[in-house]
Amino acid sequence: MKISIQHLTKVFPSREKKGKPVIAVNDLSIEIPSGKLVGLLGPSGCGKSTTLFMLSGLEAPTKGRILFDDQDVTTLAPERRGIGLVFQNYALYPHMTVAQNIMFPLTNMRIPKEEAKAKALDAARLVQIEDLMARKPSELSGGQQQRVAIARALVKMPNVLLLDEPLSNLDARLRLQTREEIKRIQRETGITTVFVTHDQEEAMSICDIMVVMKRGVVQQVGEPQSIYDNPSNLFVANFLGTPPINIFDGRIENGYVYIGDEIVMSTVAEDQLIKVGVRPEGFIYDPEGSLSLNVDHIEVMGRDKSIVSRHEASNKPTVRSIVDSDIVLPEQMGVLKFNLKPNKVFLFNAETEERI
Amino acid sequence: MSENKEKVKAEEVNVEQKKEKKPSVVDKVKSVFSKKAKKETQEGETEVLSEEMQEINSLVSGSTLPTSEKVRRFFKSQSGWLFVLPALVLMCIFTFYPIINAFIGALKQNYQGLTGRFDGWGFENFVRVLKGDTGTGGANFLQCLVNTLVFTLISVPLSTLLALLISVALTRIKPLQKAYQTVLFLPYLTNALAMGAVFATFFTIIGTKNNTETVGLINIVLGWFNIDAIDWMGIGSPTWEIGALSIPWAKYIVVIVYEVWSGLPFKILILFSSLQSVNKQYYDAAKIDGASRSTILWKITTPLISPMISYLVITGIMGGMKQYSAVVGLFGEQMGIDYDMGTMVGYIYQYLNNGRTGYAFAGSLMLFAIIMVITLINNYVSKKRVKF
Repeated sequence: MKISIQHLTKVFPSREKKGKPVIAVNDLSIEIPSGKLVGLLGPSGCGKSTTLFMLSGLEAPTKGRILFDDQDVTTLAPERRGIGLVFQNYALYPHMTVAQNIMFPLTNMRIPKEEAKAKALDAARLVQIEDLMARKPSELSGGQQQRVAIARALVKMPNVLLLDEPLSNLDARLRLQTREEIKRIQRETGITTVFVTHDQEEAMSICDIMVVMKRGVVQQVGEPQSIYDNPSNLFVANFLGTPPINIFDGRIENGYVYIGDEIVMSTVAEDQLIKVGVRPEGFIYDPEGSLSLNVDHIEVMGRDKSIVSRHEASNKPTVRSIVDSDIVLPEQMGVLKFNLKPNKVFLFNAETEERI
Repeated sequence: MSENKEKVKAEEVNVEQKKEKKPSVVDKVKSVFSKKAKKETQEGETEVLSEEMQEINSLVSGSTLPTSEKVRRFFKSQSGWLFVLPALVLMCIFTFYPIINAFIGALKQNYQGLTGRFDGWGFENFVRVLKGDTGTGGANFLQCLVNTLVFTLISVPLSTLLALLISVALTRIKPLQKAYQTVLFLPYLTNALAMGAVFATFFTIIGTKNNTETVGLINIVLGWFNIDAIDWMGIGSPTWEIGALSIPWAKYIVVIVYEVWSGLPFKILILFSSLQSVNKQYYDAAKIDGASRSTILWKITTPLISPMISYLVITGIMGGMKQYSAVVGLFGEQMGIDYDMGTMVGYIYQYLNNGRTGYAFAGSLMLFAIIMVITLINNYVSKKRVKF
């Protein structure tokens, strides 16, 4: 099912009497094609969960419309939207067994018991928990609980599956495993899926389409790789990638990009003050290079080396660059020189922080 | 990005290898047990213990310690008694001694409280209490038991159910919530005599105002539906006679209404606060799952607060079985006409008063046993139902 979000806005009244109302989501418009896995990504408080809850119908939008295919569902009650929602902490009913939890949506739809049982078992098989049907949620591990929550959301064959920070309560290893799992389930069922996360790695690894948000405003929409390669502004560039991008104060003068007093590359843009973003993998060690970095120490990680250094113009305390481990660095640390890979360097206007 | 992924994978492999290298303690113990099991099956000898096994055994039981050390450790581990000693002493004086004394007293025949004289040991007190053959008239044990059970088993479930519905309604109402809460809590703070006066205006038939006979508010309302006035609390109150028992049902209704009404505030207070502590996400999830309001109430809300409900029912039944003051307040010290509205505690109190302490002892022990049995049943049921 295709989802179309048009000028969606959510304003929460302030708790204090004279306080300003909080704009959680501001004029958000996205088109989500059918059958895709979409990630809403952003730091906490950016309105991504609010957007999800408005899609689910649990929150009513202040302004704007939500369309599922061509049907306007903006004012439709949650149970009539045909959605499945997985909560951040799963919200499994603690007094029901796994089977009862999964069957709960079906019994509410007055589906005969035998049929409901069969469907519940199908859903359980899909998430591989068919052996746990008789247990109570308290007798399950976090990962198993999460699968039950997904099965409960899937059992009524929703048109749209919504996941609110589905992996945040799992440990690191289980998170890796479960995110593959979510991807697999989404592929097998072909259900349009929207999920919320603050973890850029998680979003990049499984999303078909990624929506980066900040303070209720969409910053960029697109495929993960294209957003990573072409961030539209400083925020997006900064938010994506581990280790994060390095940012320098710089300027453009007569077609050259300066960091400090050094010319690092040429450009066609007009003269202005800029921020220069350089991905850690965008440094090439070269004794004749154009950018000098004051090396602090080197972290060896086997496959590659991470050079931690300092630079006066850097916006962060250290500059981190990653080079291949077989590159021989001089014994003497001190100042090393680097060239920059042009496709790993992004220029942003210093004031607007928009990409030049 | 892909570099990162590979890194993580590489780390994973590392961890797995480490795991394989070092067999954990658990594995050691497992291997020991499996060795032992193999020996049992192969040689048919059960007493063969490997050295490792003995080591583990000695660690568990501490059998290698010298006796003096064992004694010292034993006394040291008993030091906890010191901490509970003050409470224990008080309980011995005010709880255990009276209970034991009641047992002894119940077995003394014709015990005279003042002189301490009695005619011998036996179960005569119990027999006479159960037969109603106490030779003094007044309260009848069976009548009192039936009264108490009826009051309790109707009023407790009824008031709990009402309290649940009211507190659920309260959580839904946002404006004036505090005001409603206060109004509902008022009976809890109100003097029992004042409540008695209120009930008199509700139910009493006798009285005059402006030289006209009054029939009580309830009867006036019944009059609108052409139902004859009922003498709710007086001498002419309608009664069913069943064998030796009399069931003054109109009076029963008065007592039950009173108990439900006076029991509500506390129950509402408890249930309302436990409703507040239910995670709102369950309701959101239920909404998404398409549950109707009544489904949410009976399938989600009630089970989630069932520990509190079961607490209220258990304590309510315990309190109900010990009912005394409400009936005295409504029907006087004689508990209706010659104890036809008597309760168990009223029964015990009567025999304590007229010097027949033995009957009082026997009655109180039987009350104790009945409450115990009901509580055990309650516990069993709630353990089965209230578990997640």
